[in-house]
Amino acid sequence: MTVKASANAIDETGGRRTFLGEALVHLALIVATIAALYPVLWVISLAFSRASDPSAHVLPVPRGLSLEHFRAVTETHDAAGRWLFGRQLANSLVVSIATAAVGIAIATPAAYALARFRFVGKERGVWLLMATQMFPGVATLVPLYLILQGLHLLDSKAGLVLVYATTSVPFCVMQLRSAFESIPVDLEEAAMVDGASRFQAFRMVALPAARPAIAVTALFAFMSAWNEFILAATLLSRQEAFTLPVALQRYVGEHGAAWGHFAAGAIIVSIPVMALFYVAQRHIVSGLTSGGVKG
Amino acid sequence: MAAVSIRQIKKTYPGTGLTILKGIDLTIPDGSLTVLVGPSGCGKSTLLRTLAGLEKPDSGEVRIGDRDVTTLEPRDRDIAMVFQSYALYPHLTVRENLAFGLKLRGTPQADIDARIAEVAPQLKLDELLERLPRALSGGQRQRVAMGRAIVRRPSLFLFDEPLSNLDAALRGEVRVEIRRLHEKLGATMVYVTHDQVEAMTLADQLVVLNGGVIEQAGPPLEVYGKPKTRFVASFLGMPPMNFIDATIEGRVARAPGLSVQLPKSFDVRDVTIGIRPQDVRPNEEAALDLRFELVEGLGFESHVHGRLGDDGAPFIARLEGDEGRKIPKWGKLGLSVSPTDVHVFDRATGRALS
Amino acid sequence: MRHALALLVLLVTWFSAARASAGQVVVWHAYREAEERALDKLLDEFRAAHPGAVVESLAVPYGAYASKLEAAIPHGHGPDVFIDAHERLADFRDRGLVAPLPLSVIDRTAFDEKLLPPLELDGKLYALPIALKCLGLYLRGDATPASLDALPSLAYEAANAYAHAPLLHAFGGKMIEGDRYAFADGPAEQSLSWVAAAVAKGKIPEEASEALILQMFSAGTVNAAISGPWFAADLPRDLAYRVVPIPPVTPGGNKPRPFLTIEGAMLAPKPRDPELAGELLKFLVAPSSAIVRAREGRQVVATRAAWTDAAVASDPFLRGFADAAAEAIPMPTSVAMRAAWEPTTRAIQKVLRGDVTPRAAMAEAARRYADVTRPLPPRADPRFALFLVGLIALFGAFAAVRAARDPQFVREVKGSVSAYAYVTHAVIVVTLLVGVPLIIGAATSFFAGRSGDLHYVGLANYWDILRARGGPLLASGSFYAVLAVTILWTVCNVVLHLVIGVALALLLSRPALRLRGIYRVLLIVPWAVPSYVSALAWKGMFHRQLGAVNAVLRAIGVEPVAWFSKFATAFAANVATNVWLGFPFMMVVTLGALAAVPREVLEAAEVDGATKWQRFWLVTFPLLRPTLAPAVVLGAVWTFNMFNVVFLVSGGEPDGRTEILVSEAYRWAFNRQAQYGYASAYAVLIFLLLVLATRLLRAQKAAA
Repeated sequence: MTVKASANAIDETGGRRTFLGEALVHLALIVATIAALYPVLWVISLAFSRASDPSAHVLPVPRGLSLEHFRAVTETHDAAGRWLFGRQLANSLVVSIATAAVGIAIATPAAYALARFRFVGKERGVWLLMATQMFPGVATLVPLYLILQGLHLLDSKAGLVLVYATTSVPFCVMQLRSAFESIPVDLEEAAMVDGASRFQAFRMVALPAARPAIAVTALFAFMSAWNEFILAATLLSRQEAFTLPVALQRYVGEHGAAWGHFAAGAIIVSIPVMALFYVAQRHIVSGLTSGGVKG
Repeated sequence: MAAVSIRQIKKTYPGTGLTILKGIDLTIPDGSLTVLVGPSGCGKSTLLRTLAGLEKPDSGEVRIGDRDVTTLEPRDRDIAMVFQSYALYPHLTVRENLAFGLKLRGTPQADIDARIAEVAPQLKLDELLERLPRALSGGQRQRVAMGRAIVRRPSLFLFDEPLSNLDAALRGEVRVEIRRLHEKLGATMVYVTHDQVEAMTLADQLVVLNGGVIEQAGPPLEVYGKPKTRFVASFLGMPPMNFIDATIEGRVARAPGLSVQLPKSFDVRDVTIGIRPQDVRPNEEAALDLRFELVEGLGFESHVHGRLGDDGAPFIARLEGDEGRKIPKWGKLGLSVSPTDVHVFDRATGRALS
Repeated sequence: MRHALALLVLLVTWFSAARASAGQVVVWHAYREAEERALDKLLDEFRAAHPGAVVESLAVPYGAYASKLEAAIPHGHGPDVFIDAHERLADFRDRGLVAPLPLSVIDRTAFDEKLLPPLELDGKLYALPIALKCLGLYLRGDATPASLDALPSLAYEAANAYAHAPLLHAFGGKMIEGDRYAFADGPAEQSLSWVAAAVAKGKIPEEASEALILQMFSAGTVNAAISGPWFAADLPRDLAYRVVPIPPVTPGGNKPRPFLTIEGAMLAPKPRDPELAGELLKFLVAPSSAIVRAREGRQVVATRAAWTDAAVASDPFLRGFADAAAEAIPMPTSVAMRAAWEPTTRAIQKVLRGDVTPRAAMAEAARRYADVTRPLPPRADPRFALFLVGLIALFGAFAAVRAARDPQFVREVKGSVSAYAYVTHAVIVVTLLVGVPLIIGAATSFFAGRSGDLHYVGLANYWDILRARGGPLLASGSFYAVLAVTILWTVCNVVLHLVIGVALALLLSRPALRLRGIYRVLLIVPWAVPSYVSALAWKGMFHRQLGAVNAVLRAIGVEPVAWFSKFATAFAANVATNVWLGFPFMMVVTLGALAAVPREVLEAAEVDGATKWQRFWLVTFPLLRPTLAPAVVLGAVWTFNMFNVVFLVSGGEPDGRTEILVSEAYRWAFNRQAQYGYASAYAVLIFLLLVLATRLLRAQKAAA
């Protein structure tokens, strides 16, 4: 489906716009925006507060402006004096980017096959892929640990990437399958007539044409890895191997929690994803629909 | 350049069980422009795609030149194809689109540049080479699609309704362009369309398909002038041929409001008579008695719609100039027709009787 | 290829070599801040004293500590030495996570007599005491109250069983007696009544959390607070306070003895370098080390000699907690104790909310306790299951052979080969890392017991769940009650996601809307924030005293709400959080779908005289449906299994009634005796329900 920018302008009002109606629309949107931002603003205000606990106010204003929490979170060092936060940030970036890359690399050809080929076991395979999304992760944590151990991939970025990438594959496949289905099959046929093999047609024509959808799917895979901490905390056993969410989790202890630190860390963790969302927002709309959830 | 021969091609779509080609035999002479025409679902596109290798026939044989290509991949057939949607690679510039096939075949870059430099001016693409397809108009895209085929210098060109996405004026222009191109390249071309004007004007050989079989193949004027089946007769000609169920008595076919001389006698009694609208002349001693209903005046000609007799078959007559306008409403119009212009079909089988 | 293989072999051998290497010791702990700094300092000293030795330490997030130990140690990936609370020893020993200490490292005279027995099992010492943690009374001002009754106000986590224990003990009660749940008699009732009365009088704040207590005590709203040593770290540095043992309830009454936790340094079985590990253990409890931990880590250290240090002995904070610890009761290490927390806490919460009488609450708690500690199902005969598996395998093989003989099928498979080239790698990794864990996880549901000591029980876990463990079928916490909540949860969320998402998308799609870009960016912000951050932020916002939601209510003149004390409000809080998390997804999907609705159709409807409302319902919505339907199904599946929100926001409160099936499964796996088999049975049931539901949906769609 083609998403034209101008097509956004669906006229629900029939052109009879009044000042009052317009004001009401903006009022509704402003209320929704405030509701969407309010909790985030609380996290921000806490992160910039001198205090380290929330307080009962209506307005999320920092109490005693201070960068202390950010300093404390970013200035962690390990026993050998290495900059721990920097390493953990790097870990998170490496793991998440690798997850997106590996996840897409695995999912894309499979999604393409589902979109373009008829083959024995296709329907059943799709069903199984969907079904994996329905099994709660609670019961698979321990077996996963054992398997990674068998592969000698415990406590390594590679193992974590493999697990993240694989668990993101079902969603990525679903997403990309419809993206490929929305690409006219003519393009690849033209390429094959032009001298491309089936695989070249996929690589040189279908793949570039699906780029926006692939980018959005990669963003989701990146995000899932970037935010995950249960598996990371279970599989990683060295502080300098931790990802940021695991490090962040340390601020919530058995007794009490350093909420200010947590908030500061949360903001640092959120910024890259927010930035990516901002950059990709137009593609997210089209990528999700042209690809996506179309079943 | 190569001749193409198709032998006993059969194709059933898996899953649906729908048989789309029921044993096609066709020879396409070297250097000819063969047009496959027929209504949608007749199998013309499938036949073309079988030639391209995009569909594999269930049985039968396709030869291009002296090679049996039946099981070959499209890329090994040395063909080029222009798609209805043009299928321009959206991520490549016009130049890259043109170069795509050559690059895949490992053509040296200098050769590629030379060929593009040669083809681009012919198709007025020189100014557009660095643009992406989405920045082109429909006509420009169509020309890029053609250019992409031409630079390849294939032994066989395939066109899959290449004009159907253009507006009427442009369509006429490009049609002439394609014919000119064919003359110039002398290449073998196969062209699929559902448009009879394209079919008639372009074809060296016209192939009319219906329901997965070839109804008739031959030079366009022959197919037009001597349609072998009622289907072919109905498909070509504008306005379409009139069909009247009639009975034959001696050398005369009779129906309500109709009594025409036939060129010879037939041994079938129940027939369908076919008369093209432009083959009738106004005449007082009428063979046809047309009860006038309405007229479509085009200025240079007019189409008179009516019925034969009091409530006989509907009939359209084409009259020169503005003549039709002069007929009073519910008036009568006598028409005559030359016996050689009367087509006679077996009412049961639809085949022409000769 | 050969090179890659050689490299792999090299890597594997290198790995195993590295693991077996001598001169290496790995320490795990869950310390933060000052305690962590003190420990790091000590480890640096230890490194300096042992040149050449590799000493690694890992600060594990507390939430992951136990499960990590359990996963890592049996497989040789864990620590050699780790620091944990003594009450987990028995459990660790049962699971083979700790080894008895070699006699060479033990110097019993270094510690208080009383501290060693809790660290012993079957006469063997399993840990060296590091530090003592128990509750004490923080006081502002100089007066030391003679009794709790004499205090005008007091802040502590009244609803928490651990914080309630001193009172229980003061009234002469016990939490457990041997394996018996003892929170059921007169003293327990008296203790509950006392707290309930104090809360009712406003002497003790309702729903006090650590954060609230900290704030009240710092601000001087209360002059007395009961908490542990960790509380001090967050108090303002310039605040003057003292710590004393908790005074009796009434003057001259029984001492309210808190539970004592002895943090011990424990030794994993098969340490990499036993000698070095032993050295480290000795070093950690040596007087000089203990002094560092006391002075810099503010730990109430167990090493006697450390208290001869002037700075330690004269520190009023350390002294106060040392006195409190002297009176405290070491926490029982039994499984029974671990099982007692959840029911007791729930009982106290219920009484404090005034929902039920103490007696009824205690009866309920006893039932829950019995539920959790019920004996494992008996061993079942696996022969029938094996027979069944064999039979299925046989049929499978038979079917495969038949298919292989069918020429049609063979032709189709041959035609599929090119497609398989594209999917094979995905099939392999998904099978290995998603499929196999899933199958193992599902198979676990036929077993009971701890990991390492599982036995086959057939369908007993399922049978237990489906008959609500013998209790009333609709009692809170039963499978059916939780299922009902889960369905309600899913429906509420999906409907609200859809309504809000579609409404906002429609507003954003209005022609010539100003600021569209800004609105759109800001409205998808909730999607970009990690869900655990948002969930915790929302939990904070729903806090009774400190939460922004109540602050807003107060500002507009509405009585603040104790959100997590009633099912309806707690459930609403969960839903609000999840709706907030999920509406941007639906909004974005709808925006995309709206962009594809042809304008002409809407114009045609308008020309036909349809009102705005009719245009939406009769034209726009039906056109959106094909895009929205799969998003809704996917959203429903996600919501059904949305563990984060329920676990982090309401945590099941009140009384486990807002728990959904997944969070219930999680509790059985990680909070209640690690009953993995039981949790797996829940997981399988969830899976079957979802499969059934989607199948029904599809069948309905096909029929329509």
